[in-house]
This record gives sequence, C-alpha cells and structure tokens, in this order.
Amino acid sequence: MSVATTITTPAAVSNQPLQLGLGGYEAIAPTIILGLTALALFTIDSIAPESRNNTLLSGVTVVGSLIAVVVTGWQLLTGAGSVELFSGQLVVDGMSLFFTFIFTSVTALVALASHEYVGDRAYQAEYYVLVVLAATGMTLIASANSLATAFVSLELTSLPSYALVAYLKDNRGSVEAGLKYFLIGSLSSAVFVYGISLVYAATGSLLFTEVAATLSAGIDGSLTGVLGIGVVMILGGVAFKTASIPFHFWAPEAYEGAPAPISAFLSSASKAAGFVLAFRVFLTAFPIDAIAGVDWVLAFQILALVTMTLGNFAAATQETVKRMLAYSSIGHAGYALIALGALTGAANQPFVLSAGMIHLLVYGFMNTGAFLFVALAEHWGIGRTFEDYNGLASKAPVACAAMSIFLFSLAGLPTGGGFLSKYFLLIGAVEAQTYVLAAGLIINSALSLYFYSRVVKAMWIEEPAGDLSIEGYPTGLYAAIVTAAVVTLLLLPALAIFSDPALTAGSGLF
Amino acid sequence: MVPSQYYLVLSAAVFCIGLFGILTRRNALVFLMSVELMLNAANINLVAFSVQNGNLTGQVFSLFTIATAAAEVAVGIGIILVLYRNFNDVDVTTATTMRW
Repeated sequence: MSVATTITTPAAVSNQPLQLGLGGYEAIAPTIILGLTALALFTIDSIAPESRNNTLLSGVTVVGSLIAVVVTGWQLLTGAGSVELFSGQLVVDGMSLFFTFIFTSVTALVALASHEYVGDRAYQAEYYVLVVLAATGMTLIASANSLATAFVSLELTSLPSYALVAYLKDNRGSVEAGLKYFLIGSLSSAVFVYGISLVYAATGSLLFTEVAATLSAGIDGSLTGVLGIGVVMILGGVAFKTASIPFHFWAPEAYEGAPAPISAFLSSASKAAGFVLAFRVFLTAFPIDAIAGVDWVLAFQILALVTMTLGNFAAATQETVKRMLAYSSIGHAGYALIALGALTGAANQPFVLSAGMIHLLVYGFMNTGAFLFVALAEHWGIGRTFEDYNGLASKAPVACAAMSIFLFSLAGLPTGGGFLSKYFLLIGAVEAQTYVLAAGLIINSALSLYFYSRVVKAMWIEEPAGDLSIEGYPTGLYAAIVTAAVVTLLLLPALAIFSDPALTAGSGLF
Repeated sequence: MVPSQYYLVLSAAVFCIGLFGILTRRNALVFLMSVELMLNAANINLVAFSVQNGNLTGQVFSLFTIATAAAEVAVGIGIILVLYRNFNDVDVTTATTMRW
C-alpha cells in the first residue's frame, strides 16, 4: 500500500500545471520581512555580543520595518484581494494589510526614536529583537483566521512586550510595571484560552469560518451556555489587549513605568492588534445573526461608553504627563470600540467598522508621537509633571510644535487626522441610532481638550521655573517626532488615501 | 464513554482553583502556578472535546498551549527575578512605587 501511494503521488502532482511564483506566500511578505529583521539582529548580536553599536542595531530595525511598510502599502493599494494560507489558518486581506501598515509604521518610528533613548545601555540587541518580534506577532494577529493562530500570535506579541516593559532592570518603576503587565497579561491569556476551549467544545472547530458555519447551522441546545461563557471569556482576552474596561488596570502602570518608546509601541500598535483581533473574531467567527443568546454588540456598547468615560475622567486628574497620556489611551480605546458597538444593523456597517480602523491608524501616529515627546523629555531629564514642562517651547520650539499638533489632534481639533476619524465615528454612532455613544464621544472629547491643553499651556505660555536647561537635540528622536507630526498633519487632507482601502477592508468582513 | 459534562465540571473546577489562587495569594511564584492550573483547565477541555467531536484539532492545539505556557513561565520567572533584585521580595503587593 505504501509503495503504491509513493508512486501515485508524484504522478498526481505532475499532472497539475507547473506553478511559478511563491505559492501565495508572498502575501505574508511583511511578516516574513519582520521575522528576517529579527534574525538579522540576532546574527549581529551573536557576532559582536559585547558591542554597543546602537546605530547599527537601530538602523537595521528601522530599515527592516520601513521595507515592510513599503511592501504593505504597495499590497494595500494594489488591492490583491483575499488569500488564504496554511489550510485557512491565515488570511491576508484588506483588513490584515491595513493593520499591518499601522504596526510596521509604529515599529519604524519607535526603533528610530530608541536610538538615543536606549543610548549606551546594555542588552541593546535584545531590545530591538523583542520590538521586532512583537511586531511580527501583531502582523500575524492581523492575519489570524483561526482561534489557534490567534492565541499563538497573541502570545508572540505579549511575551516580548512583558520583557520590554521591564527593560530598565535597575529602575523600580520599570520592573514594577513589567510585573503588573505580566500578572494581568498571563491571567487574561489563561481566560482567553479557556474561552477558546469552550468554543471548541461547543462547535468542534477552531477555524473562524467553520465556527460561524456551525453556529448558523445551530448547535446542541445543551451547549448554548458553554458557548456563551466562551464568547464572553474571549471578549475578556480582547479587552486586555485593547486596554479596555475591565482589564485596563495594567495600562496606566505599564505605560508609566515602561521606557517611553515602549509605551508608545504598546499604546498604539499593541492596542490596534487587540482591535483587529476583535473585529475578525466577532465579525467572522461569531456573526451577530448566527449567535443566538450572546448579544455582543450590546456588550461592546457598554464597554465603549464606560471605557471612554472612565479613561478621560481619570486622565483629567493626573499630575504627570505620561500617566495622563496612559489614561487618554484607555479613553481612545473606548472611542475605537464604537466601531463594534455601533454594528446594530441600522447603520452602514462597513462604514462604521472602517471609521474605527481609520481612528486606529491616525491614533497610531499621533499617540506614538505624543509618547515619543515624553521620551524626549525623559532623555533630557526635565521631570515628569505638567509643571516640569513649563517654558519648554522657548528651548525646543520644533518638538513643542509637534507635541501641540499631536495633543490637539488627540482631542479632535482639526490640526490632524484625529478630527476626521472622530467625525466618522460620530456619524457611525448617530446612523446606528446609538445616541448614547455619540453623546459620550462628544462630551469626552470636550473634556479631553482640558487636560491636553494643560500640556500645551505649560509648554508655550508658562514661564520656566528656575533654570531650564536641555542638552543637545537627539537626531533620531527628533526625526521620529517630526515624521509623526507631518503624517498626523497630512492625514487631515489626505485621509482619502486610507479611507477607501479601509472601507473595502471593512466590507470584506460582512 | 464518559459524558462530556463531567469533563466540563472537572475543567471548571481546576480553572476556579487557579483563579482562587490568583486572587488570594501574594507570592508571585504561586501566582505563576495558579496560571498554569487555569491553562491546563483549558487543555482538559480541548483534549476531552477532541475525542467527543472526533477530530484532532483540540489535541494539537493543546500542545501549542503547553508550549506557550512554558514560554510564558520563562518570561515570568525572569521578571520575578528582577523584582526580587529590586525589592528583595517576591510578594506582588510590595511593588508600589506607582499607585494602582
């Protein structure tokens, strides 16, 4: 028997037309490029483990992630359609490419800014390797088409992130932040995988499409409760990754204690990774009309409202700029959750979803820029509170102008793409007749203007207390901040470049 | 064949023991052990329902879960080590330089 099999198999293959090309694997080129970048960094580190050639390591990371940005942008604009790989475990479509573009851009900015921030600290290669590996995991999350790949790629993102938050080993704040992030992260990943096991128990499959097919065919009545608990637990895992209520406790600590470029990376890219997972799991695997008894749209409405309100109110009471940005990041997770909460069927559903995607794209640039400005302030050692930023504009007008663009754009003023993306979310919430969400968005944006303006007022209007002296103008940090500011500005007139792919990607999931 | 409810009750019990340990113990190492219990509760479900559903997906995925759990412990032990070096304790409540 085995002989017969080995004889017939080559014959069967040779009958097929000879396929040139890469067999569809070029679709995950960004992921492969990031993986190769990580291997290149490992190689450099193993050749010269004692070297502290930060420029080389940072340069390789920036170049690798920029190549991935260009490849992703090209794939996104040429619109390759949807490709399934590894028996449907991964899918590359507009949604995954759109988010891969966010992840790779943020990675490039963070690597550029880390050049001076990491400076001549030890274990530099590990720092960049972990950043690139986490980014690789995020691009895989964006392509995950089964609960198994979703879990494994989620862990590939989380594990490097824990280590990166605790990177400053002698800094008690950094270690404490890493510990808290790890404790809550491992708890929520256990909850997530238990939820997966319950969904598997009820449906007998892990592939999103098969789960959806089983659900619409109807499952055994005695397993409905099991399925419901499983879906809620998966929602918990997603809420952790997006730093939403009730799994948000780690976020202020981790963002405040972590090295500031890592805070930028986690609050922009890692949060977007959580959202793409949520979009895909809940729209592809648990479509609302197939899953009776679990009204996840209502759950996301409540989550969105509570998250944005609590995040912004907590941000208003903070004394340090970094912690204020951390809470504002929770608030923005609430805004983006509108994309799922407004899927009531009353609105144009792809439009609502693409509004959330566009908000995450713009947020990726403006929030990364804001945290990188904090990195610049930490690099200069001028302190952490609002008062410490007094009069900074007289010393560093370019960086302060960029920071003002980020902050006003975060608040939703038309100084950047943040205005348009919030406007789209507002239209979506109104069309979906979820007026509470629309009101929450407006009230919270108005409130957020207060605490963002405090920073701007300190920088431009207040007199510096004592002798405010800053040494040097670090090239990499400045380049990253200015790039982020220019992109944030350009996203206001040029958002159409991204809104069309976002809309196409959004309609692909319905 | 053992009815599937029994497996669900067993895994729920293991999961709840793990959760109880996380909520009540302050030692970071005990915390890690409790997380392992919760992950293994998921493995019980995956393997049991792999047999019930008649496909191997669950069993293969449980191998992935075990591997990532091991990786998670490796990172966790590293973080607990630097915690001990900085705070001279592995109590998760001693690290309070920032407020919660």
